[in-house]
Amino acid sequence: MEHNESKEYDEQKITLIGIYVALLGLVTLAFGIVDILVWAGVRPGIEVGILAIAGDDFFRWAWGGFIMICAGLFMLAGSTRVATLQQSAKVILGGVLVWLIAGTDIFARLCATIPADEASPAFFNSFSGFIAAFAPPYTPAVLLFPFTLGILYLIRIHDTDDS
Amino acid sequence: MAKGRHVNLSGAVMAVEGADAMVFSSDARWEMVDAITRETVTYGTYKYTLGDVLGDLTVKPLTGIPVAFAALYAFWSVFTSFAGALVTDGFMVKFFDGFWLPWMQSVWPDPASWHYFLFVGNPAADTCFEAFGMLTSGLFVSIGVVLPAVFVFYLMMTLLEDSGYLPRLAVLMDSVLHRIGLHGYAIVPIILGLGCNVPAVTATRILETKKQRFIMMTLLALFIPCGAQLGIMMSVLPDLVGIVMLCLIVGFCIFGFILNKVIPGENPEILVDVPPYHWPVKEYVAKKLWNRTMGFLKEAVPFVLFGILVVNLLYLGGVIQGLANLLEPVFVTWFGVPKETVGPLIAAFLRKDLAIAQLSTIPMTTYQMVASVVLVTIYFPCVATFVVMLREGWKELIAAIAVLFVVVFIYGGIIHGIGILLGVA
Repeated sequence: MEHNESKEYDEQKITLIGIYVALLGLVTLAFGIVDILVWAGVRPGIEVGILAIAGDDFFRWAWGGFIMICAGLFMLAGSTRVATLQQSAKVILGGVLVWLIAGTDIFARLCATIPADEASPAFFNSFSGFIAAFAPPYTPAVLLFPFTLGILYLIRIHDTDDS
Repeated sequence: MAKGRHVNLSGAVMAVEGADAMVFSSDARWEMVDAITRETVTYGTYKYTLGDVLGDLTVKPLTGIPVAFAALYAFWSVFTSFAGALVTDGFMVKFFDGFWLPWMQSVWPDPASWHYFLFVGNPAADTCFEAFGMLTSGLFVSIGVVLPAVFVFYLMMTLLEDSGYLPRLAVLMDSVLHRIGLHGYAIVPIILGLGCNVPAVTATRILETKKQRFIMMTLLALFIPCGAQLGIMMSVLPDLVGIVMLCLIVGFCIFGFILNKVIPGENPEILVDVPPYHWPVKEYVAKKLWNRTMGFLKEAVPFVLFGILVVNLLYLGGVIQGLANLLEPVFVTWFGVPKETVGPLIAAFLRKDLAIAQLSTIPMTTYQMVASVVLVTIYFPCVATFVVMLREGWKELIAAIAVLFVVVFIYGGIIHGIGILLGVA
C-alpha cells in the first residue's frame, strides 16, 4: 500500500518540489543570460544589494554564464515528475553545474585574500582583511548556492531507494 | 547481475563426491563450476541507480557537452586561482622580486663580470623576469611559476581521471576527434600535454595506428602548450591568454583536419570501458600527484637552469645577435614580430616557459606579443619532448619536424595576414 503511494507520488507530473526546482531553474537561467549580456556590454555592470555581476572577463561571465544557462535548462527539464530517477538526475546535474561555478567563485576569492596586498611588505593578509574580503556583494552562483542545496533531498531519496 | 566475492574453493572441491585428488571427470568439473557459481553469483533484475543515470547523461552530447564545458571551466578556474593569484602572484613574486633578487644583486661580486651576467643577470633589473640569470630568473621560473602550475594541473587531472570522468570525456569527444583522424582516447595525451608534453608523447601509444600516433605527436608538439607555458602566460600576459589559446585551438583543428586528409592510414573505431563514477581514493591521488610532480620537476628544473646558461652564453658570444640579424627579414616581414624575438625562440628549444618569460621583457605591441607567443608555442618542441619523440621513432620525428616547419611558416604568415586585415599588425 505504502509502496503504491510512493509510486503514485513519483509519477505525479507537478509536485511541490518540482515547482521549487522549476523556479530555481528559471532564476538560474535568468542569471546566466544576464551574466552574458553584461559581459557583452549591454550594461556596464550590475550591483544590486548583495548581488554583483561585473561582466569584465570573458572566461568568468561569458563561459560561466553559458554554464549557468545550461544549469537552469537542466533544472527546468527535470522539474516535471521530478521524483523519477531520470528527471531527478537532470535536476542534480543542473545543481552540480551551479555548485561548480559557485565553488570556483568562492575558491577564487579565498586564493585572492590569503596573501597581503602587492604594496604591503607583509606576506599574509591580516585576519580582519581576510574576513572582510568575504563580505557581500556576491556573484549570482554564490547567491543561488544555498537554494540549490534543496537538491540534496533528491539525492537522498534515490540513495535510500538504492539501499 | 553477477557479483564476485572471495570464496573458499576447498569447500567446492570437497562437495564433489568421489573425485580424484588430481584428475577430475567432466561431470565433476561441472559440479565444481556449479558449486562456485552458487557461492559467487547472484541472479536478479539490475536496478538502475542515480549514479548510472548521471553517468549516461554525461556521455550524451546534449547534456554531456555542457558538463564538459563546466568541467573545463572548473579546471581552468582552479588552476588560475591557485597557481596564479595565490602562489605565484601572492607569494612567489613578492619573495623573489622583493628579497631574493636584491639579495643576490647585493652579495654577488662585480656586476660587470661575465659570471654575474650568467648567474644573476641584468644588474639593473627590478624583477626576476627581467634579470635573466640562472639563479634569479631560473629559480623563479622553475619554483615560483612552474611548480605551482604543474602541481595544481596534475591534481585536477588526477581527480578527473580517478572519479571516472575522463573515459566519459573520451566517449563524448570521439566523434569530434574522428574528424582529425583520432579517436576519443586521444583526449588523454591532449590533456596530459597541457601539463607536460613529455608524458603526453608517451601516452600517444594509446592510439592504435601509426597514422594516429603521428598526427597526435605532431599536433602535441605544435598546438598544445604545456602547464609551465600556461603558468608563465598567465603571469606575464593574463589578458592575452584567451586569444593565444583561441589561435592554438583553431590551428589544432585546421591542421589536424589537413593531416588526416594527407597522411595515409586507418582511423579504427574503439571500445571504451567506462567505469562507474566513484570518489577518488586520497592515497592514490596523493601517490599519483607526488610521482607526476616529482617526475616533472626532475626534468624541468635542470632544463630551465641549463637553458638560461646556454642562452646567456650565446648572448655573450654574439650568436643570438648574429642570428637575429640573419633572420630579421623572416621575422619582421613574414611574421610581423621584432627581430629580438630570435633569442627567445632559441631559448624555446630548451624551455618554452623560459622563452615566454624572455618575450615579456621585449617591448612589443599587443599583436606582436600574441603572434610571438603563438610562434614560440608552435615552433620546435622543447628538448625534453624532442628526446621522447626520438624514442618513439626517428623517422616519425623527422617527418613531424618537417610538418612543423611548414606549419610554423604558414600559420605564422596567416596570423600576420589576419593582423594586417584587422589593422592591428
